[in-house]
Amino acid sequence: MTIDFTRPDRLPKVRGDNGADAAELPRQRRGITPQMHGRYPDYDCLANAEHWDQLTRKLVVDRVERVPELRFFSNVEAATLSAFCDVALAQDAEPRVPVLAFVDQKLFAGRLDGYQYADMPDDRDTWRHVARGLDQTARASGAPSYADAARTLQASIVDDFAEGSLDGAAWSELDLKHAWSVVMRSVLAAFYSHPWAWNEIGFGGPAYPRGYARLGIGLSETWEGHEAVATDPASDPETHGPG
Amino acid sequence: MKLSRQFLKGSTAPLENDSALLLDVHRRGVPGRERMRRFRDEDEVDLLIVGCGAGGAVLAQRLARAGWRIVVLERGPFWDPDTDWVSDEEGSHDLYWTDKRIIGGSDPVELGKNNSGHGVGGSMVHYAGYTPRFHPSDFETHTRDGVGSDWPLSYWDLKPHYERVERELPVAGQHWPWGDPHSYPHGPHPICGAAERAWTGARAHGIEMRVGPVAITNGVFGNRPHCIYRGFCLQGCKVNAKASPLVTHVPDAIAHGVEIRSGSMAQQIELDAANGQATGVSYVEVETGRGRFQRAAVVAVCGYSIESPRLLLHSTSKRFPRGLANANDQVGRYVMVQGATQVAGRFPELLRMYKAPPPELSSEDFYETDASRGFARGFSIQTVSPLPIGWAEHVLADGHRGAALREYMRDYNHWAVLGSLCELLPLPDNRVTLAAENDQFGMPVARFDYTQCDNDRANIAFAKKTMHAIWDTAGAQDVLTIDRYAHLVGGCRMGQDAESSVIDADHRVWGTPNLLICDGSVMPTQGSANPALTIMALASRLGERLSTKRIQAGKGDHERSIARVRAGRLSEEDR
Repeated sequence: MTIDFTRPDRLPKVRGDNGADAAELPRQRRGITPQMHGRYPDYDCLANAEHWDQLTRKLVVDRVERVPELRFFSNVEAATLSAFCDVALAQDAEPRVPVLAFVDQKLFAGRLDGYQYADMPDDRDTWRHVARGLDQTARASGAPSYADAARTLQASIVDDFAEGSLDGAAWSELDLKHAWSVVMRSVLAAFYSHPWAWNEIGFGGPAYPRGYARLGIGLSETWEGHEAVATDPASDPETHGPG
Repeated sequence: MKLSRQFLKGSTAPLENDSALLLDVHRRGVPGRERMRRFRDEDEVDLLIVGCGAGGAVLAQRLARAGWRIVVLERGPFWDPDTDWVSDEEGSHDLYWTDKRIIGGSDPVELGKNNSGHGVGGSMVHYAGYTPRFHPSDFETHTRDGVGSDWPLSYWDLKPHYERVERELPVAGQHWPWGDPHSYPHGPHPICGAAERAWTGARAHGIEMRVGPVAITNGVFGNRPHCIYRGFCLQGCKVNAKASPLVTHVPDAIAHGVEIRSGSMAQQIELDAANGQATGVSYVEVETGRGRFQRAAVVAVCGYSIESPRLLLHSTSKRFPRGLANANDQVGRYVMVQGATQVAGRFPELLRMYKAPPPELSSEDFYETDASRGFARGFSIQTVSPLPIGWAEHVLADGHRGAALREYMRDYNHWAVLGSLCELLPLPDNRVTLAAENDQFGMPVARFDYTQCDNDRANIAFAKKTMHAIWDTAGAQDVLTIDRYAHLVGGCRMGQDAESSVIDADHRVWGTPNLLICDGSVMPTQGSANPALTIMALASRLGERLSTKRIQAGKGDHERSIARVRAGRLSEEDR
C-alpha cells in the first residue's frame, strides 16, 4: 500500500478528525522513530552525527544514550505525568521518547522559561498541581488513578484539560489555559528536540558546520531524508528501478 | 565617489569600526578578551553602561573611539560561539533571559526566548536577523494619524546612522522601495522553497515582497564568514555570519579600551544626595554573590524594555522615592510589542523550511495608515521558518494535540509560514512595575502587564485575513494559525517634556542629566519594523552627539557634567 504525501488527505482539518491512522504509515527501516512509523522510512539523522560539531553532537546523542534519571518528580507524580505525556503526544507503543525524563531534568535544574503568568504559581508547582489534578479527576470518574485509567478516559481528561473544562480542588489553583500552555511547552520541547522525532518528520538536524546548499522547492542534500514515494516501486520500475 | 561606491558594492568596509577585521578567521570568539583593559571600582570612569546589547555595545564602541574610558556591566556571560553555543533548538536555552518575571494583563506577553536576551550581544544574539528601517511616518504618528506619540527627533536625524550601521552589520537585501527608499551594502541571499511559495502567492495576490533586509553577510566582509544556510539564526549564529553586537561592535570597543564586565547584575543607580547626579552603579557579581560599586561620571542604562525600567524603579532614594527618573510616574509605561500572528500554508512539494535563514522575504505594502481598513497604522508581512519545536508550538496553538498534532508535525516539510508584525499602539497602562517577589539577588522581579486596545485587535485581525488570502491565492491545501507577539520597545520613552516622557531627545533623564537611557525602551512608537537596527542607529546618533560635543547649550547641569567628564579625561591624559 502506498500513500500520496503530495495530497493533504491525511491532515486533521482536511478530514475533520484527528488525522489518518498512523499505523498506515511506512515502518521505519533505518534508525528509530517514536512508534517506528513516519514519512521518511530510510532517514536516520543520527547517521550524520559525525558531521556535527562536537558540542552539539554530544548534546543530541546524549538525549538517546544517557536518559536522565528522575530527580524532581515523585514516583506517583511520574506515573501520572508519564501517562499524560503519552496521551498528549499519542505515544501509544514502544519505542517512546522518554519525554518526562527531560522535563524532570529541566525542572530539577530550575531551567525555567523566564516568565510566569500573574494568576499562576511557579512552573514547578504548576506541574505538581497538574499531576494531582489528573489523578483526582480520574478517581472522580471511578478509575484507581490517572495512570491506571482506561486510555479513553485518559484521553478525554486531556481533552477537557486542553479545553479548560476541568473542576476539582487541585485545579482551583490554576488558570487551566495557562497551565495547559506551561506543561505543553515543556512536553513539546522535550519530544521535538529528540532525534527520533526528527527522523519521523524529516528534519535535517544540527547541520553545523556543513550547512545546506540546495534550498529550492523539492531540492535536497543527498544526506537529507526522502519522503516515502507515492508510487509503488514494484509496479513502476521505470521511475524507481526494480528495488 | 558615487560611482566608485557602486563598483565597490558588496565589499565596502564600514567607517571607523574594525570589528570584522579584529575577529579571528578560524575561531568565532572575540579575540583580545584576556588583554581587555580593566578598571578599578574606585576609578571614576567616564561612562558606565548597564547592558551590552544593541544599545550599550554600539554606544560603548562609538565613545571608546572618542577616547572615553568605559565599563560595561552585563548580567549574562561573555559568549564564545565555539564553546558556548550549540546548533540545536532546545540546547539554546541559556541564550535567553530566564530569571523570573511576572506577566499579567488581559493579553499577557510571553518573554524568555521570544524577546529577551542574556549575555554580551543581548537579544540580537538570538533575533532572526531582520533589520528594516523605520518609515519617516513612524516618528510622527500623532501628527499624521492621531495615535501614539511624536518622537522628539525625525527619521532624517537617524538616517545617516541607519546607513552607517547597515554598513557595519552588514545588511543584505534587494533595493527597498518602502518608506524612504534605499539600497543595502550586500545583495539579497538565496531563498528556500518555503519562501518561494510565499513569494509567488503574494505576487499573485498583488502584494509586493522583497528579499531582505537581513544582517547576514553575503560576500566579502573582513573575517566574518559567509552564511552556510543551516537555519539556526534564532539559536545564536555559530558561524559569525549573522550580525550581533558581539561580532559587530564589541571587538572594536575592546580594542579601544572598553572593559566589559560580564556576569554583573546591576541593582541600583546611586545618586549624590547633594546635587542629585548619578555617581555610579551598585551591582552583584553573579558568580560570587559579592556586592560591588563602580564609580562613574555618566551612567547609561541599556537594559531594554523590562530591565531598564526595573533598575530605575528599584533605584529609590529620598529625592526619588518612587524610583529614579520616575518623578512623573512615566517609567515603565508605554511598553509595546508587535502583533506577530503567523499563518502557515500547506503545499504538495517538499519545501523544507528549516533550511536557509528564517528571515527571508518582507512586504511593507500595508505599513502606512489606510483609512479604508478601519484602523490607524499598519503591519508588515515577513516569512518565518520555525524549527521543529517552534512548529510544534504553532500546531498546538491551532488547537491540536495527540494524534492530530503528530500528523501535522510529520507534515512539517510541506509547510511555509508567513508572519505579521502589527504596529500595536503605545498605551500608558501597558507597563513594567516591580512585583512582590524577589530574584536570587534579593531584587524585586519585574511584572509586565499588557492589554490590547480596539485598534490593536482590528490591526491583527486584518493582518491575519491578509495572510490567509495570500495562502488561498497560492493554492495552499490547509492552513494553521498561531497568535503571538514579537519584540519589545518602550518603557522609558523619549519626549518633549518631563511630564509625558522619561528622557529628552538626547537620551538624558529629565532631572538627572548625567544619566542616559539608550536601548529599545526609549522608543515612543514602534512601527511595523523589527527594532534592532533602530536601537543601534539611536545609539550611534547619541555616541556621535556626545563625542562631538553637539549636546550642549542651555542644558545647565548636564552640559557641566559632560564638560567635567571630558575635562577630567583630558587632564588625566595631560598628566
